[in-house]
Amino acid sequence: MDITQSDTNQQENTTQRYEVLQELGDCHTSVGNYEEAQRHYEKAASVSPDEPGPYVGLGVIALQKNLLDDARIAFRVACRLAPNCSKAYAGLAMVAQQNGDHKSAFDMYLKSLELDTDNLTALLGLFQTSCQMGSFVQVTHYLEVYLDMHPGDASVMFCLAALYMKDGQVERARKVLLDILALEPSNKDAINLLEEVEHKLAQRESAE
Amino acid sequence: MMIRDRKKKAEPLVSVLLPTYNRRNFLPTALSSAVQQNYSNLEIFVIRDGGEDISDVINSFNDPRIVFIDRQENRGKAFSLNQALLQAKGKYIAYLDDDDLYYPHHIETLVNTLEDPRVFLSEDSSGGDCQLAYSDLHRTYCRIGPEGDREVLSKVLDISRDFDRFFTLCFNHTLHVSLMHTREILEKTGTFNEKLNVLVDWDLTRRLAFFTDFHHVHEITGEFYHPVGDSDRISARYFKDRDEYLRNFLAIRTTRPPKPWPKIKDMSIILTMDRLSEQVRDTLVSIWQHTFYPYQIYLPLEQSEFGKLNVEIPNMVTVPVESWTSKEQIIDAALAKCDGDVIAIVPAAFPIRNFWVEDSLYALINSSANKEAFELEDSTDELWAVILSRGDLDYARKNFPHLTFRQSLKAAGIIIRRVLAEEIPFQYDQLLEQARAAGKSGNWLKAAQTFGYIAEHYQNKLWIKGLAAKAFFKAGLHTQAAQLVRQVNQQQPTVDTLLLEAKLNRRKDCKSAIEPLEKAEQMLDFPFSQMWQNNPVFKEKS
Repeated sequence: MDITQSDTNQQENTTQRYEVLQELGDCHTSVGNYEEAQRHYEKAASVSPDEPGPYVGLGVIALQKNLLDDARIAFRVACRLAPNCSKAYAGLAMVAQQNGDHKSAFDMYLKSLELDTDNLTALLGLFQTSCQMGSFVQVTHYLEVYLDMHPGDASVMFCLAALYMKDGQVERARKVLLDILALEPSNKDAINLLEEVEHKLAQRESAE
Repeated sequence: MMIRDRKKKAEPLVSVLLPTYNRRNFLPTALSSAVQQNYSNLEIFVIRDGGEDISDVINSFNDPRIVFIDRQENRGKAFSLNQALLQAKGKYIAYLDDDDLYYPHHIETLVNTLEDPRVFLSEDSSGGDCQLAYSDLHRTYCRIGPEGDREVLSKVLDISRDFDRFFTLCFNHTLHVSLMHTREILEKTGTFNEKLNVLVDWDLTRRLAFFTDFHHVHEITGEFYHPVGDSDRISARYFKDRDEYLRNFLAIRTTRPPKPWPKIKDMSIILTMDRLSEQVRDTLVSIWQHTFYPYQIYLPLEQSEFGKLNVEIPNMVTVPVESWTSKEQIIDAALAKCDGDVIAIVPAAFPIRNFWVEDSLYALINSSANKEAFELEDSTDELWAVILSRGDLDYARKNFPHLTFRQSLKAAGIIIRRVLAEEIPFQYDQLLEQARAAGKSGNWLKAAQTFGYIAEHYQNKLWIKGLAAKAFFKAGLHTQAAQLVRQVNQQQPTVDTLLLEAKLNRRKDCKSAIEPLEKAEQMLDFPFSQMWQNNPVFKEKS
């Protein structure tokens, strides 16, 4: 028998209890059952003390309860356990955002997206904070990267269209909005924004 | 197939053998699992193979069915099991290691199977009789705490394999904890080999395969423990000493129990050569190291060469020849001496590797055609090697003794051909390996398709479907994954399949994921929660 291969299989096979507890924590969080969720995250953390997942979960629960200090501590533990944990940085960003520290929130969202361009929470958070701060260049880049991977995500497409619009790239905004409406013909936000875009284009044409 | 609801009749006595050495912490769990069986007609031998005192543990059970063999001297597992076998009176024998456990239906399941006339025809024993049944086991990964307690991390069904005699001869696939056999059959196989210090179980299982078919019960009836990190298992310790392991391994593979063998065709290998040389010695050693099928080698030697062999190979018979003896005369002389059912004629310079003869042998044994011989795969015109039945070879040599060996086969109407890909053994294992390799390289779709093919063509459908579902999930094909995993979970859920169902449900609705996750958690905790409540030793500890 190949001992190295056997060791690899062993690693893959020893995570069931952790996974079950972590999933239970996530599911209970999603349905708003925070006491149960917390109990399962704490058990998950004791089974796999090196995993950041339970601390991210505990941080999310603390955020929901508006216990920002507890949330920050939990997300920091997760970051320390796994310095490349995108979710933990997104959590820290959310804490900063709730505290009104838009600059830190922006930086943490960016860090989170550097680690995982797929992290939708970080992407939308970055969009919000950039709107609050009036800085759009980096956000546009990450939205475009995200849409390369998830071409049909209407909510992100809408954010991108809005940013193009704010940046004066009206033609590009129009194209994205038409793409959204091809996917979701009754998307009201897109219909309204497209109206604005068409109006702006008409103004531009008449000015020329 | 689980066989229940048979007519109620007297329950036969089952002897459970539980040897133990320095595992005070785990023994109560193992013993509890035997004592708390649904099936009550048991005698449970606990054999202390030296090490720390366990009499308080045994006494705490206060169960008259426990027979305690209290020995201070450590003499090994084989000796301990043999000591219990001397006293065992059960119609059936079952085994339990001191760190493993049975689920409550383990003994009942296997007894019901062996008592079913479709499985074991004990009265007339007119062929097709299974005197051994085995079930599936969870491999339970656990972490050992500072006080010796075990924390279960995962329970995995590594393999659910139907009986494959060739595989059993090659390597172990049925752990002793999972099997039960008649006591009677040990009269043919012999008992445990006390000269071995590792793979003791496989040695007996392998010998059992000479005398009976094994019936596979597709049900999980127990667990064997796999500590994460350093294992205290005897096999793990010896695995680190490769030479010792190899010595045991080869000793087992060359063991030939007393004949007659109702389930194995004996193979005789007749080596043809001009004279004894270093190359011949190398070939002999290579055959010893690479052949897993039972064999006996017939080596033609001139009288003057008898003392010059300088190599001790098991199962070798010398055939006295003269210097002028032709190849045909060598074959005829060896044939007169050998009692093999199938004969391989092999030139001494033939290249020997793993499966060098077994692929063709397997095809020959399973061929329904008459008068068919198989050239070995590495055979060439210069080094021509062939395997065929004893009857066909006898016929060719007796009727055409004046012809060369090859011509005599042809004259006898024996068709000589090569083995086809679909005729070689271990197809199931190769397909499994292919599927797993595809998954490891990230090609999950191919993995899923291969698992699907195996599920269609082999018997262990539920287990394979579980693997296919996981592969479909990883390939992003969630509909197919959901369809398969629900089928599995309706019949035989495992922690893995419940976890997968939860992940699939969660994509749409988190609430519906909670139920399979809670079932998975219960499965990880089972059966400890019950045991802790029922035994004074546990109560004391808790």
